[in-house]
Amino acid sequence: MAEWIIMPKQGLQMTEGTITTWFIEEGGHIEAGADLFEMETDKLTIRIPASEGGTLLKILHPAGDTVPITKPIAIIGASGEDIAMMLASVEKGAVTPQFATPRAKMTAEQQGIPYQEVPGSGPDGLVIERDVLGYSLAASVRATPLARKLASIEDVDLVSVSGTGSHSKIMAADVRRAARRNRQSSVRGEKVIPLTGMRKVVSSRMKGSLLDMAQATHRITVDMTESVRLRDMLKEVEIKVSYNDIVLRCVARALSEFPMMNSSWSDTGIIQKEYVNLGVAVAVSDGLLVPVIKDADLLTLQELSACSSELAVKAKENRVTSEECSGGTFTVSNLGMFDIDSFTAIINPPEAGILAVGKLSRQPSVIKDEIVIRPMMQLSLTYDHRIVDGAPAAMFLRRIKELLENPGLLL
Amino acid sequence: MSKKTYATAIRDTIAEEMRRDDRVFIMGEDVETLGGVFGCTRDLYKEFGVERVRNTPISEAGIVGAGVGAACAGMRPIVELMYMDFTLVSADQILNQAAKTRYVFGGKARIPLVIRGQQGIGRGNAATHSQSLETLFMHVPGLKVACPSTAADAAGLLRTAIRDDNPVMFFEHKALYSVSFDVPDDTEYMIPFGKAHVKRAGKDVTIVASLLYVSRALEAAEDLAKQGIEAEVIDPRTLIPLDMDTIVESVKKTGRLVIAHEAHRMAGWGAEVAAQATESAFRYLDAAPIRLGAKACPIPFNLELESAVVPSIKDIIDAAKAVCYHQEG
Repeated sequence: MAEWIIMPKQGLQMTEGTITTWFIEEGGHIEAGADLFEMETDKLTIRIPASEGGTLLKILHPAGDTVPITKPIAIIGASGEDIAMMLASVEKGAVTPQFATPRAKMTAEQQGIPYQEVPGSGPDGLVIERDVLGYSLAASVRATPLARKLASIEDVDLVSVSGTGSHSKIMAADVRRAARRNRQSSVRGEKVIPLTGMRKVVSSRMKGSLLDMAQATHRITVDMTESVRLRDMLKEVEIKVSYNDIVLRCVARALSEFPMMNSSWSDTGIIQKEYVNLGVAVAVSDGLLVPVIKDADLLTLQELSACSSELAVKAKENRVTSEECSGGTFTVSNLGMFDIDSFTAIINPPEAGILAVGKLSRQPSVIKDEIVIRPMMQLSLTYDHRIVDGAPAAMFLRRIKELLENPGLLL
Repeated sequence: MSKKTYATAIRDTIAEEMRRDDRVFIMGEDVETLGGVFGCTRDLYKEFGVERVRNTPISEAGIVGAGVGAACAGMRPIVELMYMDFTLVSADQILNQAAKTRYVFGGKARIPLVIRGQQGIGRGNAATHSQSLETLFMHVPGLKVACPSTAADAAGLLRTAIRDDNPVMFFEHKALYSVSFDVPDDTEYMIPFGKAHVKRAGKDVTIVASLLYVSRALEAAEDLAKQGIEAEVIDPRTLIPLDMDTIVESVKKTGRLVIAHEAHRMAGWGAEVAAQATESAFRYLDAAPIRLGAKACPIPFNLELESAVVPSIKDIIDAAKAVCYHQEG
C-alpha cells in the first residue's frame, strides 16, 4: 500500500526543513535504508534514508521547497499503484492525521494539552510521551525573553534554573549564574562543538571552492577621496550610504561591463549571466551568510544601500531565507570594520570572483610628486582563472578603482 | 547463605525434601549411581537407597506415566528427564494425564508430581536437545510452569514445586548448572509461585526475561544505563501462574515493554505477556511492546550458529532503545 513520506522532525527545535536533493527521481525504485533525500534545517544538513523500500510514486515537494515537519513530501509504494485519493487529499489541503501513542494521549489529557498541537518526534511524526512532557515543560517555565535568549546561547537548560524574579521568573542573571556553574563544574579539557548546518554548509562550500577552481588574486589600492566627497555630499542632504554601498554600486557597474566576471563554469561551457546578483558576505553569530541583492546593476545607489542594509539586518537576526541567499553571481566581502588592510577571500561557488575590501584609512600618497594624505583603500579580487585570465581580471579591478576614484562616472 | 552452583542447589533441595518427607522420591535415567547427567542427584542413592533414587529405562512416556500413577497413589514423585526436549516423548502422559487427572476425577485425585530437567542452548547439543519448550506447557490448563534463573530461585521454587499438590513442569537451564549463586541455608526456603522478582528497578523500560535471559537482560540494563536509559528487569520465575500484576505495574510506570526469551519468538510466551500487558495497560504504553525470541529455525549444532539464532544482549539493548525512541548522540 502506498505510504506518505513526511518531513521528519530532527531535533526538538525543528519546525520546518528545506529539501535540498532528491536522490531518486519520481518513478524510481529505492531499497529500504538507502538515502532518499537530503534536507537542511536551521541547524544541520542531513540525509534521510527510506524507511520502506518501493517506488517513489510522487514527489510533492521538489528540492528547494521548505516544508513544515510532519507534512507529506512524497508518496512511496508499489509501481503502478493508484494514488489518486492521496493526491486529492493533498490538493484539498487535508492535514495528515496526527498520531500519538496511548501514553502520550493520556499524559496530554492529564496536562490539559491538545496532543494534536504537540510536534511528534517518534517514527513518522508519532507523538510520544517525551514530546508531550517537553512541550508542557517548556511552556511552563517562566523566563524573561533575555533569559531565554541567553539560555540558548549558553546551552543552559531553563528547566534546571531556579528563578529569582517575581513569581520565580527566571532572569538573565539566573541564567548567567547557571552557565558559570556549568563551566566551573567541568574540568578543563577539550570539547567538540557539534557541526551546525551552517558550519557544514560553509565548510563544504569553501573546501569545494578551493578544490574545484583555479583561484588567483590581484590587489589594487584605491584613492577614495572622491567617494568620500560623494558620501559627505549625500550626507548633507540626509541621504545615508556607506562606503561599502558605493563599492557595491561600482562593482555592479563593472560587472555589467565585464560579463566574463559575471559567469560560472560548467562542463558544457561557461555560463554567462545577463543579470547581476551581488552577494554581500555578512558575519553572523555562529558563521557566515551571503544574502544576495538581485539585479544590483539596475539599482540606484540609494536603492542598493537600502537593500543591502535590510539584508544585513535580516541575516544578523537569522531571518534571511534560503531564497535570499541563493542566485548570486559575484560576491563582495568587507572586513574594513575590523581594521583589516587587505585580505584574500575564497570564491563563493559557482561564482567567478569575489572582491575583498579592506579598511579605508588616511595614508601618505604621492600626487604630482608631492606626498599628501589621502583616504586610501585596498581591494583584492580573487577570480577563477579557468574562466578569466589575468589581464581581463586586472582590467576589471582597475575599472572598479576608476569608478571609485571618479564616482561621477556612475551617472 | 552459601555459595552454591545451580545444580548443587537443586540436588540439595531434593535431598532436604526427601529427608523431610519420605513420600518424596526421584526417578529418571541414570539418576542413581551416575547422579544424573548434570549431577543433580549426585550421591543421593547413598543416603536414600535405590528404592527412592530409582533408575529407569530410556522410556520417557513410561517414567512420567509411572510418576502420575505414583502421585495418584499418594507418593510425591520427582521425575527427571535428561533433556526437557523429551517431554515430547511423554506428551500424552503430561498433557492428557498429569494435567487433567485431578480435574476429571472431580478433585478426588491429587497429582503432586514434579517433572524436571534442563533445556536450552550453551552446549551445542543440536536441534532436538537444545530447545526451550516452556511455552508448550503453558497452553494446556492443569500444569504449573517454573523457570528458575538463579540457584536460589531453583532451590526456593523446587521446594514449592515438591510441596505442591499439582503437577509442576520445572524447567532448568543447562548453561546455568555450573554457575554459582548465594543460596539461603534455610531448609524451609520457599518461593511462592506467581510472584515475579524485580531484579533491577528502572523508570524507562520494562524488560521481562526468564532463565538464561535474566542475566542477559541485566547485562543489557547495565549498558543501557550508560546510555541514559534505566531499565526495569523482571523475572516472572513461574510462567504458570504468571504474575502479570507486577509486570503491568511496571509497564504503567515505564510505558515501554520488551520481553526477551530463548523460546521461539513465534507464539512464544512473550506474546502472552505482551498481549496481557496491552490489555491491562494500553493507555500507559508509549510504544508497541517488542518480543525477542529465537528465530524460526531449529537450534543449530554449531555453537556460533546456535548463538546467532537466539537473541543477543545487543538485541535486547536495541529493542529497549527502540521502544524508548532513543536517538544516538
